[in-house]
Amino acid sequence: MKKSLYIFLVLLLSVSMQAQVDRSVQPKPGPAPKVNLGKPQSFKLPNGLTVLVVENHKLPQVNFNLYLDNGPTLEGNKKGVDDLASSLLGTGTSKLSKDQFNEKLDYYGASLFFSVHSTGGSTLSRYFPEVLNLIAQGVLDPVFRGDELESERAKLLDGIKVGEKSAQEIAGRVRKALVYGKGNPSGEFLREETINNISLSDIQEYYKTYFVPENAYLVIVGDVKFGDVKKLVTSNFSSWKKAASPKKAYPEPVNLTATEIDFVDVPHAVQSEISVSNVVNLKMTDPDYFAALLANQILGGGGEGRLFLNLREAHGWTYGSYSRLRGDKHTSDFTASASVRNAVTDSAVVEMLGEIKRIRIELPTQADLDLAKAKYVGSFVMNAEKPATIANLATYEKTQSLPATFYQDYIKNINAVTLEQVNAAAKKYFMYDALRIVVVGKAAEVLPSLEALNIPIKYYDKYADATEKPSVKDVDPNVTATSVLEKYIRNIGGLQAIDKVNTVAITYVAKVQGQEMKTVSKQTASGKSSQEVSMMGMVMARTVFDGEKGFMVVQGQKKEMTGDVLEALKSGGIIPETKMLKSGDVKIAGIEKVGDNDAYKIVDGKKTIFYDQATGLKVAEEATVDMEGQQITQRTLFGDYREVGGIKIPFKQTTNMMGMDIEMNVTDAKVNEGVSDADFK
Amino acid sequence: MKKIFLSLGLLFMGGVGVVSAQHIEFEEYTLSNGLHVILHQDKSVPVVTTSVMYHVGAKDEQPDRTGFAHFFEHLLFEGTENIGRGDWFKIVSANGGQNNANTSDDRTYYYETFPSNNLQLSLWMEAERMLHPVINQIGVDTQREVVKEEKRLGVDNRPYGRLFEAVKSNIFKHHPYRWTTIGDMDHIDAATLAEFQAFFKKFYIPNNAVLVVAGDFDKAQAKKWIDEYFASIPKGADIVRKQYTEEPITKQINAKFEDENIQIPMLLNVYRTPSFKERDTYALDLVSDVLSSGKSSRLYRRLVDKEKTALDVSSFIYPQEDYGTYFIYGLPMTGKTMEDMQISIDEEVNRICTELITEDEYQKLLNKVENSVVSQNSSTDGVAHNLATYYLLYKDVNLINKEIDIYRSITREEIRDVAKKYLKPNQRLVLDYVPKNAE
Repeated sequence: MKKSLYIFLVLLLSVSMQAQVDRSVQPKPGPAPKVNLGKPQSFKLPNGLTVLVVENHKLPQVNFNLYLDNGPTLEGNKKGVDDLASSLLGTGTSKLSKDQFNEKLDYYGASLFFSVHSTGGSTLSRYFPEVLNLIAQGVLDPVFRGDELESERAKLLDGIKVGEKSAQEIAGRVRKALVYGKGNPSGEFLREETINNISLSDIQEYYKTYFVPENAYLVIVGDVKFGDVKKLVTSNFSSWKKAASPKKAYPEPVNLTATEIDFVDVPHAVQSEISVSNVVNLKMTDPDYFAALLANQILGGGGEGRLFLNLREAHGWTYGSYSRLRGDKHTSDFTASASVRNAVTDSAVVEMLGEIKRIRIELPTQADLDLAKAKYVGSFVMNAEKPATIANLATYEKTQSLPATFYQDYIKNINAVTLEQVNAAAKKYFMYDALRIVVVGKAAEVLPSLEALNIPIKYYDKYADATEKPSVKDVDPNVTATSVLEKYIRNIGGLQAIDKVNTVAITYVAKVQGQEMKTVSKQTASGKSSQEVSMMGMVMARTVFDGEKGFMVVQGQKKEMTGDVLEALKSGGIIPETKMLKSGDVKIAGIEKVGDNDAYKIVDGKKTIFYDQATGLKVAEEATVDMEGQQITQRTLFGDYREVGGIKIPFKQTTNMMGMDIEMNVTDAKVNEGVSDADFK
Repeated sequence: MKKIFLSLGLLFMGGVGVVSAQHIEFEEYTLSNGLHVILHQDKSVPVVTTSVMYHVGAKDEQPDRTGFAHFFEHLLFEGTENIGRGDWFKIVSANGGQNNANTSDDRTYYYETFPSNNLQLSLWMEAERMLHPVINQIGVDTQREVVKEEKRLGVDNRPYGRLFEAVKSNIFKHHPYRWTTIGDMDHIDAATLAEFQAFFKKFYIPNNAVLVVAGDFDKAQAKKWIDEYFASIPKGADIVRKQYTEEPITKQINAKFEDENIQIPMLLNVYRTPSFKERDTYALDLVSDVLSSGKSSRLYRRLVDKEKTALDVSSFIYPQEDYGTYFIYGLPMTGKTMEDMQISIDEEVNRICTELITEDEYQKLLNKVENSVVSQNSSTDGVAHNLATYYLLYKDVNLINKEIDIYRSITREEIRDVAKKYLKPNQRLVLDYVPKNAE
């Protein structure tokens, strides 16, 4: 009996012991791990190159980076010279052709990058000597060749197009240009013109001037021995000639005197990109550096920051909202940002401003501050012993002129910051009354509510140039489809002049893939038309329509016209607007931008035509065509109207095909001559 | 012990160059409720990562509820019976940690990284999440909007953001891989609280998950805590998964997709490939290296360097649990056409299908693969993720050390043969991903 009771008790005890983990109690951290801050070994070459080495043999790999601390350089009307010099580095040396160089580097399986500021990568440690040697040859003995420049230039030009239409990309560019000014290195951005201004000698000069060892750091981390590195680096980098890079003056950015909104219209945007910024001068050695970091952390440092909790967790307006602030020897900026759906753009601006105001006015709670400190300290602890961090910290110490005790005292200094100091830093670095709010979004949907905020709004285009307010207008009730068509007819010469036109013959020339494409188009007032497209003297395609039926000859194959194509031709004519006036189906569908100007949108069956609001001229036409079962909308732009035989004809037509603009220019236009019946057989 | 020996060995041999990729030590066991546990100790830095991978992803969704698995992932940050709403991130930060989660078609992954004195906290948090998260209407309503913003940000407003949508809908006809992980706006709108609760009950069970602890910790202590927090979580009903089979593609699929956020079109050739568990996937990975890894690779050198028809060209395999997809893509230079690129791509693909790669190319491949395998396991959170993936999806956790040997065992002949088997013109999708003329 006793024994079984005993067993029962034991069972009870063990069961309840297991069940007894009290899940309602959040576990307390154990004793904080000790941070052992390693120092790299280092040496300096006579030419000025500083080498930092962190030995770590955990993995058979070496990471290295040659970093040039030259500071921002102004490129001005040759913006892009830095990018191009960087992309030409590593494309061959005086001893190795580009193919030989790439072949050798790729062989070792290393992953590498080249630029005039930073060159490095990672390699298996057994190949480190060979890879370092190749890198040294690549950066110290480069050959810049004209054909490589042209090839990289073409890539860079196409590269800027990749993000051309992206609201995020536009927002990033415009924000920096406005905050820093276009005359400041941080505000400059790539333009087609500036890229085209760059010559081979500009590249050579830029490389010669800035690729110098005075402020250069070579950081090597991983499976190496210090003694071996010293020998390797000395033999590979001693030939680098001692020199310092020049410091060029440029205007320092200044803050606004009153908060304003800078708006950029991106008509296709489904989200608004909002950023709220001001210029900041905060050095890592400033006494309020840590207080400023913590103020930013509380405001928008992460998923527990006030911006995130407000805009995302409380409202569900955004995937995330954050702010950032850093210490730097150069001028930098404070920016809070969010991407939000169109409908809540104004509300998001209000809440972001509200959070900035709150952190300036109210002391944070002790819990807020403790949380922010814990995050900084935790992240410092977690990273401090990683070899890459040891190297990074050592580089910072040198490039930002930090005292030798900076990182030893890091945790102590973070923990010493008070509530009042955070508040003072917020007041000093977040300019509530002088913020630049950049909003990039769809004017038609977000502008009316932004205007209601009573903050002055300035308008910019996607290159940060001041522009007019985008018109988000309703059509005046006095304007009808008929009045738009009548104005067009009047402005190209009037009905009487059109009546006198019996035939037109127009020759267009376009450049397609570097070749000339010629199109001869002939039309009669009675509704006949023909088109002949040729390249290099060879007829590629011919279409003929006699008013009733038509055919198409493409590379010798003849095909009768049917369906939509035939209908479209029947409704056409020299000036189809005269027919459209008589049709009851033509409707006005609003005002939209075509290029930079407003235009009335007129819908006629499957066609949509745009007439400039001011000039009345036809500026664009859209047709929806069926291609392999897919509905494709093709837009043609018209411009450069010139008078021929009493009526105005567009001498420039631009059609976008597969993302490429094909521009057709009129080289010859004749009215009432050059057309015979033979053209329509 | 073995580990100490190994690192000493490395120390001695460092720089000499005999050592090959590292060996990852780990220990694994299964709790009675079916939760699999993997421990990987690495005391080199005072950091510990705790992660849980659940075998549920977008491919387990209903066709009218796409995006559901990812939406659900968001709900698991909303709070638990013992963690208040909005406190999850605060607790992590207040203890100096970092955390996140992500969802793919195959699985959902949650992780926290803390200074090493917070292992118990992270185990408690993941157990809270597995045992009794609070899934309620306010969470659903908030996260519904957040997820929709994530879609606008990452997909709808981003250049080339809808590329996967365009590819997947063409490559897969029956398999749930045919829809995207982020899902359709309409489906995200339609998802209900009751559906989320049912989803949790079905998939978020210990016998459908793996728990990994990696980094600086005491093993006995860790096991005790794991037992305390996880052992009493009830086991769930076995999950019956539907198998989907795709008919082979036997005729080239031509498709076009318009994106209004882009200016430069993209040409894609996409092929369906087998599960990532198959050896062929490794060989195809090598094929993609020959074609486009590095500036001396075949496609890059030819299209970008020599012929200058492409601004960029690349190929890669996108490996998944049931089927993979092999991508080749190129962006034409201004004035060049898709056709210009296609001709050269076809010739290069044909060449790798018919001719052996050179000995030099082969050695280059092995060096490259070795470097990238080492990099993949260079951080503790990387190791944690790999261990979880190999166990749960590949069903062979030892792959973390064997992978490099599989690559090394693939011969030049096998590379040619696998290319020939999968990269046939009649088995591909040719997709023109083009700008939409909005302006």
